[in-house]
Parts: sequence; structure tokens; C-alpha cells
Amino acid sequence: MDYFPGNWGNPRTGGETYGPVSHKAMPANHATPTTRTQQPIVTGTSVLGIKYKDGVMLAADTLASYGSLARFRDVERLIKAGDSTVVGASGDISDFQHISHMLEKILIKEYNTEDGHKLYARHIHEYLSRVMYNRRSNFNPLWNSLIVAGVRDRDGGKFLGFVDLQGTTYEASTVATGYGSYIAQPLLRKAVEGREDTLTEEEAIKILDDCMRVLYYRDARSLNKIQRATVNASGVTITEPYELESEWAFAEGIRGYGATE
Amino acid sequence: MLSHATSCPVQAPVEHRFSPYTDNGGTTLAIAGDDFCVIAGDTRQSEGYNINTRYAPKVFQLSNGAVLATGGMYADAVTLMKRLEQRLEWYRHQHEKEMSCGALAQMLSTILYHKRFFPYYVWNTLGGLDEEGHGAVYSYDPVGNYEKHKWNCSGSAGHLIQPFLDNQIGFKHQLANATSLTIPQVLKITKDAFTSATERDIYTGDYLELFVVTKEGITKEKFELKKD
Amino acid sequence: MFLTRSEYDRGVNTFSPEGRLFQVEYAIEAIKLGSTAVGIQTAEGVVLAVEKRVTSTLLEPSSIEKIMEIDQHLGCAMSGLTADSRTMIDHARVEAQNHWFTYNERIKVESVTQAVCDLALRFGESAASEEALMSRPFGVALLIAGVDEKGPQLFHTDPSGTFMRYDAKAIGSGSEGAQGELQEQYHKSMTLKEAEVLSLKVLKQVMEEKLSATNVQVAVVTPISADGTGGYRILLEEELQEIIAQLA
Repeated sequence: MDYFPGNWGNPRTGGETYGPVSHKAMPANHATPTTRTQQPIVTGTSVLGIKYKDGVMLAADTLASYGSLARFRDVERLIKAGDSTVVGASGDISDFQHISHMLEKILIKEYNTEDGHKLYARHIHEYLSRVMYNRRSNFNPLWNSLIVAGVRDRDGGKFLGFVDLQGTTYEASTVATGYGSYIAQPLLRKAVEGREDTLTEEEAIKILDDCMRVLYYRDARSLNKIQRATVNASGVTITEPYELESEWAFAEGIRGYGATE
Repeated sequence: MLSHATSCPVQAPVEHRFSPYTDNGGTTLAIAGDDFCVIAGDTRQSEGYNINTRYAPKVFQLSNGAVLATGGMYADAVTLMKRLEQRLEWYRHQHEKEMSCGALAQMLSTILYHKRFFPYYVWNTLGGLDEEGHGAVYSYDPVGNYEKHKWNCSGSAGHLIQPFLDNQIGFKHQLANATSLTIPQVLKITKDAFTSATERDIYTGDYLELFVVTKEGITKEKFELKKD
Repeated sequence: MFLTRSEYDRGVNTFSPEGRLFQVEYAIEAIKLGSTAVGIQTAEGVVLAVEKRVTSTLLEPSSIEKIMEIDQHLGCAMSGLTADSRTMIDHARVEAQNHWFTYNERIKVESVTQAVCDLALRFGESAASEEALMSRPFGVALLIAGVDEKGPQLFHTDPSGTFMRYDAKAIGSGSEGAQGELQEQYHKSMTLKEAEVLSLKVLKQVMEEKLSATNVQVAVVTPISADGTGGYRILLEEELQEIIAQLA
């Protein structure tokens, strides 16, 4: 038995009989081959985002799943990036932690430069879009859908944008990733479109909480423990994780798949 | 021996294999007049049955006075646009003049062909004025094959609108003699074409952005389409 | 060790205390040993004329080539170490073709001149990461003639990579006398035919040998018309005879 996978599939006599063997993909003494992300492993589900009167708001639950296993129940998927931006992520958690490190790095670099430039939401979104697009172009994607929310730029304004593993980008007054794009997005559009500049903070909170509750009822990879991030004139606030009220009493009477007799 | 399905502890919830490509839909159109050019495109961005956003402009005004309409994969289109703008600026510095529409047309073809084996998944339509001041339209496939036309429509509702243009712009199958169209006539035909296409093509809708190129400059107009 | 003044011409990229690069200046001197070349720009096109030094009766004069085509609309005359010009002409030709390939248009005369001059100072030592450079400056000056959207133009380049546009310019051993003569004779309304005659007249005055149809070479670059006529063209011997006949 040859314990070096780098030799597997190659003739034992090496170059003598069959000519030189290529070890481009994996050196002969290397334990594992070069690998690329083929699928996400530990994953987070939907992130939702809306614009409202004073700024932007995001919501996400704190569950990190391992396939269908609810593996980690207190993972924070909304992070602060600079003074006026939040980034929310669904998809592979380890890739998101890598992205967090990259963001931290460029923010520190920009801060230390002391040139009067600041990274606002628009810049973070553009940066992330280039990172995501370049990784996809090298067939080594970061397996996430990201939502960037915050103050647009130096001149103020609201920013709510999206980037995914293929580098696709867009801005909208409501955004949602994963199952949220099927289940919550229609509800969000109905509640928000045309009211971006009139919705109060309380209304915005209710819209997001309600949508997160619907997702908790329908998305099997979700949790009723959620966080909300708000960016407005007073800066970035991310709530501590809190529980959503849910009502399961109706389930008592359901037999089988819920069809009435 | 365990079967493959059970030996793998995790199953990907969304995708099983990475594809670098996606189709974000959308329709674009360009019509050359005697001394003007109209370039238009809807602003809906889709992915599958989802509408990502109602306003993601995919018709871009270039710094040399030409207008590029893109369709297909939005991320590739944005990247291509950034490269084109860089090349236009380098050209300006190197040759101390603006790149002509014809030169840009050829350059776009070479840029696309250089990625022949990992193409930009973008259908381009380039509109502007040629050296004589006549309207010029060039259309491309993703690997750089290109052709000069009088009118062209491509993208998700291209097959719906092109024959309509053949009839209304090119006077094909009409007994009437072909005449030169004015800007208002072309704009009207364009808006009608998109309003109708929006009824049949789920990837077209929300807003229509129209650019008119004349020797005086470029004007832009936004027109409402149905949002369903 | 203290370097004496005369030692500042050792390193090709070492400035002297007066701020001079001696090797570049020596290269410019080398051109003054070369055969004379003349270029004249007119509204109809540009004329290039060179003398060929036929140093032996056994030498085949047609094998001396000092005017070359860069592209259909571009010509080039040279003086100095003409072997060095091969690198430059090759570069200019590639640059012109690349421009056509990418932009489907003819490269401007100034752009191709700039491209050639970009090569001029790429001599000296190279860093480990860089590709190998040339060991010394070019020993050749060029007269680049062409017609583009700005009309007929004439450019002069020297080994320092400097280029300038001229109405009329002479380079090489007889350049001083020739330039003086051009200064006197040139006028803006000159026809192409008149320029052809003037170019040979000037050469005749500065050449040591007796000017004939075999020891000069003349080329013209004219606008390319829709039917494809015009552009760079070397004049035939009969045409030279005709011009020479008008010199007397």
C-alpha cells in the first residue's frame, strides 16, 4: 500500500517505463490533493434587508447548520464593517469568517493611512464584489450570499446591496438571500416598495420580525433566535440575539400531513 | 460498502456543483438613424424565477460618446465595462484622441475573443455615430463575433422584438417604401416594442432606459414598464 | 575611488556631474558619421531621400536599403548605425499591426514614433526580475514619415528617445549644410514634386560622390485614397532620372 495519494493512479515504476509522471495537481509526498470548495459545509440561512425612513436594517438568525443538523445555535452572521456599514452573510460560515478577516484588514489599512478617506457601504460592496468575482473566476468561490447595508458614501444616503458567489451584484430597497428570496422577498416588497422614506423604525422592525417569523415557520434550516442590525444617523447598532414569539398550538390537532378528514 | 449518499455526511442545501455562470436576463435594443442612434434596455435583473432588483442599469454610456448595451451575466458585464473604460482612457493618453466608434467596435471584439475559452457571458450591442456622423450599431456574441447593423435587438426578448424591428424599422414585408425615421418615431417604436415584450417575457420589465446619441451629445430617458 | 571626469562615460546610465549622459551623447555623435538623409513634408505628402555610399565598384547599390516601410501609410529613413534600426523598425511594424488588429484603424504617425522612442532608453543593467535590456543606446536616428487623420507629417527621433516634428529635416554627415539649405528653400505651399526635387538638390550639395539614380533612394508617403492608391512608395529608377534631370 502506498500511503501517498500523490502516487495513486501513477505507475509504480515511475518515469522508467511510462515516462515522467505529472505531479502538478498534487506533489508525490503531499498528503492531500489541491482542493477547491465544491459545496458549503457549515451554513447559515437567509439574511433580510430593507431601507426605511432613517436608514437601513438587516436581520438574520444565529443558526449555523451542518447539513440538516442544527450544529451551532449562537453564530453571529451580521457584522459591523467600519463606522457606517454592516455586512450580513448566508452560506458557508468559514468562508464568511475569512471575508470578515479580509474586511478587517482593509479597514485597518484605510484607517492607518490617515488620508481623510473612509470606507462607506458603497466601497465595501464594490470591494466584496471584486473579491467574490475574482474567486469565482479562479474556480475557487467563497460560498456566500452577502448583503451590504449602510451609509452610501461621504455625502450620506442609504445603501442596500447584494453580492453572491458568482459576483452578481445589485441594489434594491428590499433584499433577501436564500429561502428568504422566495418566502420573505414578496412580503418585504409589499411592505416597503414606495415607502422607503416614510417607514418608521418601529414599522421596519415589525416588518423584519414578521418575515423572520414566517421564515422560522417554513425554513427547516432556520431558528427563532435572531439579530437585527440598524444603520442610521446615530451609527451602527447590532442587537443582542433575541427570541421571536411563535405559536405552535395549532400543530396539536394536525395528524399525518395535515389534511382534514 | 456504504452508498455514496450515506457516506457523505453533509448535503449541499442549495447547489451541488459550482457553476461560474448565471443568466440575469434582460433585453437590449439599438437602432441607427441617419444622424442619430437610439440604444435602449430594460432595467430588471433576474435570476431563475426571482427578480433580484427592478433597477440594475445594463446600458452604459461610455466616455468616448458611444453607448454599450449588455445582456446575459451581469457580473461579467460589469467587469467588461470596467475594462472598456480603462482601455478608453489608456487610448486617450496614448493617442491623444477619443476612440472612434469603429475602433471601439473592433477592440471589443478582440477583448471578447481573448477570453474565448472562459468567455464573458454577455451579449453586447454597441451604438454610436460613425466617422461620417451616421448612426452605427454593432452586435456581438459572447466570444467576439460581431456585425454592423442598422437595427438590432438581443437578450431574453430579442427573438420577440427583432422581427418587429425588421418590419417597422427595415420596412420588411411592407409595400410602403423605406423612409428615414426621425428620433421621435424610433423612440415610439422602441417603447411599444418593450411594452409588448414585457407582456410575454418574464425577464423583461420594470423600467426602460433609452439613450439617444446625436452629434450634439447623449440624452437619457426613463420609461415605465409593467412590474409583474 | 574618485572618478575623474572622463570616467563618467563608462557606465551607460551614469550621469556626469554636469548632468549629462555621455554614452547617449556619443550615440548622437555616431549619427553625424552616417550618410545623409532628408525628409520634407508638404500638404500633398512627405518625401524621404537618402544617399547611398557606394564605397566600391564591386558593391551592389540596390542592396543598400536605408528607407523602409513601417506600414502602408508609414515610411522611415535612417542614418547612423543602420543595423540598430532593425530592432526599431521591427518594433514599429509590430506596433502598427497591433493597432490595426485591435482598433481596425491606421496608427497615427506620432503614436508609432512614440512607440519607437519608448525603446530608446531601455539600455543598461537590468534588475533580476526584469527582462534583459540592450547594452548600449541605439546609434541611429530616424525620419518617420506618414499620413494620418491629421494629414502628412514628418518626425525625427534620436538615440535619447526624443522626437520632434519637422516641416523639413536633414540628418547624417551632411546634415548641417543640408539643414541650412532646407531652411532657405522650404516653403509651406511646396508641392510634392517640388519637394522631391528639393530633397535631391540638397543631397547633391552635401554628397561626396556625384549624385545619380543609383546612389540615392527616394520614397514618398501620400494619402491613401478610397481606391487604394497612395501610401508609402519607393520611387523607381526612371522616376529618379526624371527628378535628377530637373536638378541642373
